[in-house]
Amino acid sequence: MIRVLCGLGLSACVMAAADSPAAAPTCNLVPGWTQDGAARYYTTDNLFEYMDGNSEGYFSYNFQDMHGVTCKQGRTTFVIDISDMGDPDDAYGWFSDVRDLRQPAYKVGMGGQIVPRRLVFAKGKYYVEIAANPEGDYTAALKQWAAALDKLVPGTSTAPAAISWFATEKLQTLKLAPQSVLGLRELKRGYVAQYDYGKAFVVLEDTPSSAAAVMKQLRERFGETTPAKVGDDAFLTTDKYLGRLCFALKGRYVAGYAITADGMDPAALSAQLVGKLD
Amino acid sequence: MDRSQSRRDFLAAGLALPAVASASRSSNSAEPAPQAPTRTSSGSAGSALQFRTLGKTGMRVTTVGFGCMITSDPTVITRAADMGINYFDTSRGYQGGQNERMVGAALGARRKDIFLASKCDHKTPEGILAELDTSLKELGTGHLDVWHLHGKSTPADIPDDLLEAQRKAKQQGKIRFIGVSTHNLPAIVDRVIEAKIEVVQVPFAFTSDASYQPAIEKLHQAGLGLIAMKVMANARRRGAPQPQRPANFAPAALKWAIRNPAIATAVPSMTDIDQLEQNLAVMSQRFTDADAKILSARLEEVGPYFCRMCGHCAGQCPKGLPVSDMVRFVMYADGYGQFPLGREHFRNMSAEHQQVRCGDCEICAVKCPNGVQVVQQLMRAQELFA
Repeated sequence: MIRVLCGLGLSACVMAAADSPAAAPTCNLVPGWTQDGAARYYTTDNLFEYMDGNSEGYFSYNFQDMHGVTCKQGRTTFVIDISDMGDPDDAYGWFSDVRDLRQPAYKVGMGGQIVPRRLVFAKGKYYVEIAANPEGDYTAALKQWAAALDKLVPGTSTAPAAISWFATEKLQTLKLAPQSVLGLRELKRGYVAQYDYGKAFVVLEDTPSSAAAVMKQLRERFGETTPAKVGDDAFLTTDKYLGRLCFALKGRYVAGYAITADGMDPAALSAQLVGKLD
Repeated sequence: MDRSQSRRDFLAAGLALPAVASASRSSNSAEPAPQAPTRTSSGSAGSALQFRTLGKTGMRVTTVGFGCMITSDPTVITRAADMGINYFDTSRGYQGGQNERMVGAALGARRKDIFLASKCDHKTPEGILAELDTSLKELGTGHLDVWHLHGKSTPADIPDDLLEAQRKAKQQGKIRFIGVSTHNLPAIVDRVIEAKIEVVQVPFAFTSDASYQPAIEKLHQAGLGLIAMKVMANARRRGAPQPQRPANFAPAALKWAIRNPAIATAVPSMTDIDQLEQNLAVMSQRFTDADAKILSARLEEVGPYFCRMCGHCAGQCPKGLPVSDMVRFVMYADGYGQFPLGREHFRNMSAEHQQVRCGDCEICAVKCPNGVQVVQQLMRAQELFA
């Protein structure tokens, strides 16, 4: 929207910039820290200069821009960056991609995590991260910063509704795949949960008819399919890499299970999942 | 030299490099390497696989490798390995450190059949060696085939102590070959040769500045292995919104990169099966006139916006304006809605430069070899910020 306004002329551009204050970290948010070097600002144009190829991951989740600063206390430095990801779904999505589910969660924003040298969390449309140096356990200081940054960063602290669709028992990973869910181009974007008995997925289409069109494309891709009684429409199939699969349609959603373990019924698992969709 | 002409030549034909190191060379490593059975063999999808030797490493790599950076589903990586792609690229830092674990799990028992590369970001020897140990653990492997210092832009970014750490890792058998990745090859080419680095990963696309060509040739002649990344040249991320790319753009861009015999392999990012199959097919396809037309048209489209940071405009303005900087300031405001940032940078220029008005010059002396509309951009900066 800002880009459109700016294209119309200077006054509109100034107004748009003023209406959209950025969340920029400063070192005085927590007592005892001083700024080390100049503040940073990156856009889609130059993020790669800061983090090289890792910037591609940010771009996948709708990265807009990043404000950062390095803060120092004695020999310790905290590299603090706040990225605007455009909307809460993408901010949480990027957080879901980079967090380590083997490590415990930390309650901040929509979701967070602190490991000895790192803090990450998502709040509103922002993704927040701190990297601590040198080696050491900075958990206590990171908790202080988490509280301070939580106050600074505007936006919702309620995680996307999609998270509640997936069972938490035996959950290994839960991520927003920004494109090609299961490696299938037809499934443009959606959440994927990995369990030890299979991989659950939910893709939200714009309309029920576009979701139905996706089901048609999937049938064409897999060829041999068996109808199943799940949701509005469903079928079972197999693939060398995606194992035993079930694709189910419910309204605007295409959901189901892949790589289903022996002894588990992909249709039954999918029925449980589809039953939780709004 | 007419750089505009040079760029056109670069796109259309200027890719004939001396065929140095075309024959397989013996590896310095005692470890056995995966062997490509023949120069051309067939992938499981029926596509012909093409192999080249990665410099003096002796590694016979498929001309299309796999950039794992943004792959979200591991089955795409597994499928690629089964289809015959044998070079996979990741980095310790990708996806907040989660990418290596996914790649390791996806490759599993196939690890012995493929070459695996990763990268490190720390700036101290102890830091990168600790990163390497983490990489090996997360990837579930005993060694990396190539280990890059990640994103080095100047000779000073490649200090002796980091190189010594890489050599130590090689002696310990944790890596087979030392590498560096860069976004500024011309600036580090001499340092790379002097430092006896074995593999270089470099952005190389049809939009690459002509200054890359001699740098690539120099490294190739010195026997270094060259890997192309960013082969699709994501111009849409630079500046104002760009026209959509045609459907046949991606194969054309990939073919352009790997037709250069100095490039042993390219590592495009892949996220789905269709991309994988398309890229696999590219290995056996010729770069055609139709491909050249697609890329030429794309160059024309992105030219007015796409500052390639080649530095050619430096010193051209008789009034001393920092041209590429001012183009960037405009991009902050018009491209990203960051008017205050653009204005702040503009006001950090000297007072003399801030007072220059390009409309006072009859003819602009600044000529962008890549077709960026420099005068309009400079006048826009003065209109916005002065």
